[in-house]
Amino acid sequence: MWTRQENIPESGLKEHPHVRIGRYALVRNTVFLGLTAVVLAGFLVNIPRINILEHTARNLYFHVPMWFTMMAAVGVSGYHSFRLLQTGSLIRDIRAMQAARVGAWFGVLGLLTGIIWSKFTWYVGTDVWWNFDPRQTMASLQLLIYGAYFVLRSALEDPDRRAKIAAVYNLFAATTTPFLLYVIPRQLESLHPGAEGNPAFSEITEPVMRLIFYPAIIGFIGLFWVLYTQRVRIAWIKYRVSRDPEL
Amino acid sequence: MEQVVQSIQDSLRASQSVSTPFDSIWTRGDVPTVAPSGLEQIMLSNDKIFVVLAVVLLIWIGLIFFVYRTDRRLSQVERSLEDRIYESDDEI
Amino acid sequence: MIWLSGAWAVFEKDLRLELRSRYAINMLIMFVLSSLLLVALAIGQDAVSTKMQSALLWIVILFSASIGLGRTFVGEEERGTVLILQLSVPGSQVFAGKLAFNFFLLLCVNLIGVLVFVFLLNLDITHVGLLATTLLLGSLGLAGATTMLSAIIARTTNVGPLLPVLLFPLLIPLLLSVVSAGENALAGGLGWAESTSDLTTLAAFAGVVITASVLLFDFVWND
Repeated sequence: MWTRQENIPESGLKEHPHVRIGRYALVRNTVFLGLTAVVLAGFLVNIPRINILEHTARNLYFHVPMWFTMMAAVGVSGYHSFRLLQTGSLIRDIRAMQAARVGAWFGVLGLLTGIIWSKFTWYVGTDVWWNFDPRQTMASLQLLIYGAYFVLRSALEDPDRRAKIAAVYNLFAATTTPFLLYVIPRQLESLHPGAEGNPAFSEITEPVMRLIFYPAIIGFIGLFWVLYTQRVRIAWIKYRVSRDPEL
Repeated sequence: MEQVVQSIQDSLRASQSVSTPFDSIWTRGDVPTVAPSGLEQIMLSNDKIFVVLAVVLLIWIGLIFFVYRTDRRLSQVERSLEDRIYESDDEI
Repeated sequence: MIWLSGAWAVFEKDLRLELRSRYAINMLIMFVLSSLLLVALAIGQDAVSTKMQSALLWIVILFSASIGLGRTFVGEEERGTVLILQLSVPGSQVFAGKLAFNFFLLLCVNLIGVLVFVFLLNLDITHVGLLATTLLLGSLGLAGATTMLSAIIARTTNVGPLLPVLLFPLLIPLLLSVVSAGENALAGGLGWAESTSDLTTLAAFAGVVITASVLLFDFVWND
């Protein structure tokens, strides 16, 4: 039978994925119901029409949570990289890697939706699709870093070494990103809300929008957690079968 | 006839200045010179509701694509698990 | 003191090896010279804005660093001297020695590069001190990041062009500040007063990168 002891990899054995299936199912169902409610409310709840924005103000519920989700994923990935260096158990590497994967995907979606939104509000009547807006630049740089992270992982063969080196790169890259928050806004101009002199929420923001916006953020981060947990579970099985957790 | 054309042009200009005041345009970009193209005409109609639709659809399609990718990984792992079990059976 | 002497020993060893073959320094200088010549030829006689001059200079420097300094630790692997180094000197001293050597190398190359660039493009430098400070701080941050990442790529299987891929996304803050400070140093630039925030960024970047490298280096080195 397959359950013989020598077939089970040695390292990282003590720590199981710790996915409680009951909790996972609960979160998953809540997230699906909640996001459905968010989409319905996002389209149906009446909001005032502001110039330029018109109905696109509703994108607040869909585009902005993508960024929050990517940032949450960056945090999760960095935390698990840190824990990997402390404990050396491969489940941390699986979690760091999969959080980066799912987070990067949310980042791509945020970038694409941002391009569409800005094209039909700020850049109407011009041929501009891409602009070096600070937010856009920072997001694409974060994606570049994760791209480099994935390339680095594919250049390492041994799972234990890969886990360690990739964690070091992940943390090393994380120390340089705060500079972007300081440098980029001074070098590039912005129309983006949340930038200097351009509040994310202002007094003209309809109060009801916050009531939909905050659940949307929680919902999309929950969706991230569901997708991420699925991949962690698959990667764990892969690891148990072939001693290599890389999906 | 000329009066009609004139009034249409006036209303067009008015509507353009409402939908694109100068401070809303990227500072380095050109002030709008290109007339709204076909795509823009569609997206700007109905108070730009189609922009929201495009964003939501994009997220939805993106998420579906990601679920498919996860699924493909899952079937790969399943296949290698099957292989593994058959190998073990042969040994016994 | 003992810590310093260990780091110095590593630095001295690398310097001697380098003086024996002069491979890295020659290659770096040739790379910088030929790419600057390419840039100058491509521009021709046209006037280029100071922003563009500063950007071109720094892009050449970044590329040469990413190509020339990638072999810092790969060489040790190839010569099979990793184990001896691991046994005789603690990791932080190895890192400090390598960092000092890379910094030294970069400074030499940058000095030559800037002189040639000034000569080729007839640049007019108003604030020499500012340019020197920018070069110094920029090279320090660049050397810190490159040393750490070359330790990382020494552990991978396909070493080749990996370093630029890993390096460039991390260097954007450095590049932006260094280009803007370099622009301020050239003719018509704003000088010291307007460059303090850039220089602070550069110093902080170098400090953070080197601190993070010292903290993380052991995990890569003692793998």
